[in-house]
Amino acid sequence: MSVPEQNQAENPQEDTTHFGYKTVDKTEKASMVAGVFHSVAQQYDVMNDLMSFGIHRLWKRFTIDASGVRPGNKVLDLAGGTGDLTAKFSQLVGPQGNVVLADINSSMLNVGRDKLRDKGLVQNIEYVQANAESLPFEENTFDIVTIAFGLRNVTDKDKALRSIFSVLKPGGRLLVLEFSKPEHELLNKAYDFYSFNILPKVGELVAKDGESYQYLAESIRMHPDQETLKTMMENAGFEQTSYKNLTGGIVALHKGYKF
Amino acid sequence: MSILLHQQLLCSALEVIINKALALNTHGSQTLAKLELHTLCVHLSELGFPVNFTVSANKVLVNSSEEFRSDDELFCRIDTSLSTLQQLKREQQLTELIKQEKLDILGNIKIAQQFASIMENIDIDWQTELAKHIGDVATYKTVQAGKFVADKVNFAAQQIQADASEWLIHEKQLVVTKNKIDDFNQQVNEVSAQTEQLSKRLEKLHQQLSALAGEQG
Repeated sequence: MSVPEQNQAENPQEDTTHFGYKTVDKTEKASMVAGVFHSVAQQYDVMNDLMSFGIHRLWKRFTIDASGVRPGNKVLDLAGGTGDLTAKFSQLVGPQGNVVLADINSSMLNVGRDKLRDKGLVQNIEYVQANAESLPFEENTFDIVTIAFGLRNVTDKDKALRSIFSVLKPGGRLLVLEFSKPEHELLNKAYDFYSFNILPKVGELVAKDGESYQYLAESIRMHPDQETLKTMMENAGFEQTSYKNLTGGIVALHKGYKF
Repeated sequence: MSILLHQQLLCSALEVIINKALALNTHGSQTLAKLELHTLCVHLSELGFPVNFTVSANKVLVNSSEEFRSDDELFCRIDTSLSTLQQLKREQQLTELIKQEKLDILGNIKIAQQFASIMENIDIDWQTELAKHIGDVATYKTVQAGKFVADKVNFAAQQIQADASEWLIHEKQLVVTKNKIDDFNQQVNEVSAQTEQLSKRLEKLHQQLSALAGEQG
């Protein structure tokens, strides 16, 4: 499997971007990504548990721990999907606080809404279908914005980071939980083998959609590495940016503040 | 950074155990409502990271956030160690431990007291819980069997202890009985008293010799 060189400050050609290893027109990526998530929405949670052996729950817990959320906070869970982070945030901010679960994909949002309602979490959660590149919120609205396993699917990541910066309150923070580059070469090779040989087969077997999981593996490889994403956040205006590698760098949590 | 994120793994396990215990508590969990959105942060020196217990919607959420909320009425932080916590439970010597700098409390101390009270009052009726899964008759028989096994194990333990003592004392003679030790101690005391007396007599004789030598000189 030849992995195309990671470029990542988006494609040099203005009108194109990556969809996995394919180069596609920028205008097409959002609908292609939407197709993937419409397809996997119903099996999303099961697949997450299967693919990560349940460790995604610990990565999300780590994100909550790092967020410093407190009662009364306003939180935006961007690309929130099936609402794992929203559920925890909702309990921690209490009735005085507010959590907005936003996702560009209506299928994911529907699954998330049903799941949270089944858990009895209704009082302080709002659902918004929104594109991260142009968030439909006023400036200085949120104390915390999180985007977990969503940024790599965004067509124009720089634009999305600027949009997030705008809706954060001064003193607010952004947490980006995303697949990244493993720190050790051996782990990297094992991870590559797993991603390209096992993952699509599990996807085919469970979600009846091997292609979407092939895209997942490719999109992870095309996502900016730790340092590149940190620089992108700084370029968008974030300060005191830092990141922590989780599970050997398979996933990284980036954090930045707006002052 | 560990592969399995041990902090989050521990918090996750604690959260499941605590909420399960609260759900099974025969006294109910109404008392938790008083602590809604209050956080108790326990920083044990052995762990090296804080563990926060936050009450939300009659559940306890556990996380390991390092965020310190000194200005918050809903927050209490305890810095201590496991051994100190055991002392605290045994002797109720809170002030003394704070003076010795073995325990530090910051924030609203009432939160810690209320959490402690809730945890101490957890009472689970295991027989009722077991009966829900396997039925009353099977539970009764299981409990009786459990008691029978426990009695047998206790008896066996006492028997093994007695046999082992017998073997060590009488067969191998590696250990002596308490009577023999007492007897030996008494003999040592007698020898000690005799030695003391002899020493006094020698001292007296020495003084007499010194006096005679002075008269002759």
